[in-house]
Amino acid sequence: SERMRKFKNKGKDAAALRRQRVEVSVELRKAKKDEQILKRRSVLISLMEENLSPEEHKKNEIIQMSLEEIVGAVNGSDTELQLQAVQATRRMLSRQKDPPINQIIELGIVPRLVEFLSRADNAALQFEAAWALTNIASGTSDHTKAVVEGGAIPALVSLLSSPHMHISEQSVWALGNIAGDGPLYRDAIINCHAVPPLLALVSPVIPVGFLRNITWTLSNLCRNKNPCPPLHVVKKILPVLIYLLEYEDKEIISDSCWALSYLTDGSNDRIQIVVDTGVLPRLVQLMTSPELTVMTPALRAIGNVVTGTDEQTQAAIDAGVLAVLPCLLRHVKPTVQKEAAWALSNIAAGPCRQIQQLITCGLLPPLVELLDKGDFRAQKEAVWAVANFTTGGTIEQVVELVQSGILKPLLNLLSSKDSKTILIILDTISNLFLAAEKLGQTNKLCLLVEELDGLEKIEALQTHENNMVYRAALNIIEKYFSGE
Amino acid sequence: QRVLLLVASDVDALCACKILQALFQCDHVQYTLVPVSGWQELETAFLEHKDQFKYFVLINCGANVDLLEILQPEEDTFFFVCDSHRPINVVNIYNDTQIKLLVKQDDDLDVPAYDDIFRDEEEEEEESENESDGSEPSEKRRRYEEDVIERTMRRRQRREWEARRREILFDYEQYEYHGTSSAMVMFDLAWIMSKDLNDMLWWAIVGLTDQWIQDKITQMKYVTDIGILQRHVSRHNHRNEDEENSLSIDCMRIAFEYDLRLALYQHWSLYESLCNTSYTSASLKLWSVQGQKRLQEFLADMGLPLKQVKQKFHSMDMSLKENLREMIEESANKFGMKDLRIQTFSIHFGFKNRFSASDIVYATASLMENIEKEGPETTNFIKALDSLSRGNLDKLHQGLDLAKKQLCAIQQTVASCICTNLVISQGPFLYCSLMEGTPDVKLFSKPVSLCLLSKYLLKSFVCSTKNKRCKLLPLVMAAPMDVEQGTVIMVGIPPETESSDKKKFLQSAFSEEKAADSTNSRTLHNHFDMSIIELKTEDRSKFLDALISLLS
Repeated sequence: SERMRKFKNKGKDAAALRRQRVEVSVELRKAKKDEQILKRRSVLISLMEENLSPEEHKKNEIIQMSLEEIVGAVNGSDTELQLQAVQATRRMLSRQKDPPINQIIELGIVPRLVEFLSRADNAALQFEAAWALTNIASGTSDHTKAVVEGGAIPALVSLLSSPHMHISEQSVWALGNIAGDGPLYRDAIINCHAVPPLLALVSPVIPVGFLRNITWTLSNLCRNKNPCPPLHVVKKILPVLIYLLEYEDKEIISDSCWALSYLTDGSNDRIQIVVDTGVLPRLVQLMTSPELTVMTPALRAIGNVVTGTDEQTQAAIDAGVLAVLPCLLRHVKPTVQKEAAWALSNIAAGPCRQIQQLITCGLLPPLVELLDKGDFRAQKEAVWAVANFTTGGTIEQVVELVQSGILKPLLNLLSSKDSKTILIILDTISNLFLAAEKLGQTNKLCLLVEELDGLEKIEALQTHENNMVYRAALNIIEKYFSGE
Repeated sequence: QRVLLLVASDVDALCACKILQALFQCDHVQYTLVPVSGWQELETAFLEHKDQFKYFVLINCGANVDLLEILQPEEDTFFFVCDSHRPINVVNIYNDTQIKLLVKQDDDLDVPAYDDIFRDEEEEEEESENESDGSEPSEKRRRYEEDVIERTMRRRQRREWEARRREILFDYEQYEYHGTSSAMVMFDLAWIMSKDLNDMLWWAIVGLTDQWIQDKITQMKYVTDIGILQRHVSRHNHRNEDEENSLSIDCMRIAFEYDLRLALYQHWSLYESLCNTSYTSASLKLWSVQGQKRLQEFLADMGLPLKQVKQKFHSMDMSLKENLREMIEESANKFGMKDLRIQTFSIHFGFKNRFSASDIVYATASLMENIEKEGPETTNFIKALDSLSRGNLDKLHQGLDLAKKQLCAIQQTVASCICTNLVISQGPFLYCSLMEGTPDVKLFSKPVSLCLLSKYLLKSFVCSTKNKRCKLLPLVMAAPMDVEQGTVIMVGIPPETESSDKKKFLQSAFSEEKAADSTNSRTLHNHFDMSIIELKTEDRSKFLDALISLLS
């Protein structure tokens, strides 16, 4: 949780202002686990139908082979039998229910399958082997490990340039699975010089299904931290991602956006590389897409950018992010509300001129609404936005915030169960009183808080089990409400 | 536990209801009876009572739609459905918790196999995956083989299965027809419980006779069911012939008979009955001058003096009545009427009360659709129900009078439709529309009367025309329903030929999603018979056009 606070310096509380998304990714990890079970299947149909040669259809009379027969044939020298065995293997690995990945690995045939990848004279064998390896690599980390240790990476990288499109596509897929395992194998692929031939495949003439596979593999090459992908590779991939963002296909756009969201999820110099490409306006535009699959990663990427420096945040503002946020703050999906509020909280952590832009662009009404009626997790983010606002805003800006009706929903949230949120609200209330003091309107604010049943709630917090909450509440009462 | 009894407005339903009421009384079951004339009333009645009742018995309604779908009942609500409407909705058939169907085991239902029409929906969601939730892309992805091959195969199989399902359901649902009379089913229930009484047996007979008069079942089915009832009749009425005279005033006796197929003749004059019975009127073509002449010749052939024939039947000379049936049958054969005698039953009670089953059907139906307003909506229903009890002779006689008026009105309307060429061929079907202002048109705003008229008209029309193709065509008939609301009622009648084993009308043509929807006509399937619809007068021609193109 050291990462929880990664902020720029501003004032004494600055350390608590801009927050990168750590909680968010924890939740996503969880979501992803469930998703493993339901891997995307429908995506693949069109692609497969395009690629299946008539000859392959013909071979669909299925040859049943036992595992022993497979081992024998694979290790033998009869090419026809080898093909049949690899095909049988691939078929077992492709079935819907419990593919026998472990058993196949235990047969010790993975190195042979890798060998077959190099049999340029036998395209069918190459293809079947690549497919089988793809599916082995799609399993657990141990499964992927077996493929990598069998020496598959260099062989697959050379197949990227195969004259047969279905073979190069299959190796793109296999490499995508290997890269998806984590930074270690991702970089192993990069070190095998996979990126230049992979990028060379991107062209307007290849089928869209193939392009989807390439985009997904590219996104896996941008994915994961500790370490982040090497800078020189990121710089090579970025222009292609930006090119892919211009496609009409929503899956290509979606995966490209995800890649950009991975690349912006890091230190400010990483963010800077993305900002420098000038892609922000396009990302902001995609935030308005009706497709959730496109809008979500675009919002994530922009959200990451505004965790950066004031200049980087300003670049996002200049790209128009403030104009699209109101809609997203009012989105039906709680996760979208939450991400949008998170982005807003980081913009509110900026200098007062950015806060002013936030006001001018009409972000206060949707913020008040969200605080009042939004999903609870989104409300938490909205509380952060208000807190940051009161920390960095001018007296006039804070007055405007109060006038927008923020107090009522804010005070209501004091009944929340989350002591962290309560603490932030109490901090915010203190900030408001500081501003009121400067204007000589402390009494007015006291009355307002009382009228909205806030005093009652703050008093109740004096018995809160959390010591910090108790002290913060007591502090406000003593300071502003004790002297009759 | 109190039971709610929802009963449709047809004679068979009333008879089934009478039997069930007697059974309830026997077992001290508390119940509330609510008559329902259509889907709207059924839904309203259900909504009004669903909080107080958990058990609902539906008679002659509910089988042919997805009940759970339209009523949306709570899970602890149960429906017992005794309904002769076919085909039975497949969901009702395969629901084994909330829907209990009362169906005779030997009824030929031809229900599609479960696996052919239902399947687990596990693979459904596959198509729509969590694509758009905006979460981070997965780090690794497996390439599935079945993405292409297995999935394509599975999808293809699914498509084929769905196409087959549509075909099976289409075959199953396209024709509307009727199964065993609900009154007979209910009587079977009483018999199995050893609680069957002679009164119940009589109601079962009336129920079956209603199906026959309404032309809802084939001759074959009728004769078979008569045979079944005959065994019950002899079981319940096994007294020796010579004991008959000792019958006391409150004893009743049911007898099997080969009786004349002449409507109400024992309560009318033979002449009027001959004129107003569909079978004789159509065979002799009574709407024409030649027809009238043929009638005179027919009477002369029998050797019956006109004076005798025209006076009330019960005042006819006993000597003439003695061999009347044989005499009439003999002459009828010469005039091409080979089926003038039919198997039926009659009931005797008191000193002089004798009614044939068809008398009761006509009388009860007329009371039920009486257009003279005598009170709230349910008055007719209650009165009709009461007329089925032996003690209510006055109501029965009032019903007989109404029935005679109705038969005369039908006969006159048929004659005028044929003489003024109102029946026109629309290509795939015949069509006739009654205009506002036609005499007795109000009578035919009611479904049972309109169906009866339509059936008589089709029979007569087929006899009147030389065009043989008309025998193979169904008839669509329209009549004004509510002048103020500007609505018409329309019925579809199956072709005259009895080539198939079921009396059925192509109901799919009338179904909402077909003709009605393709024209945006404001149609209403308010009737339990799917071949009856209501629509706005101005939509009639649009609807007809759609029907023509659909059936062509």
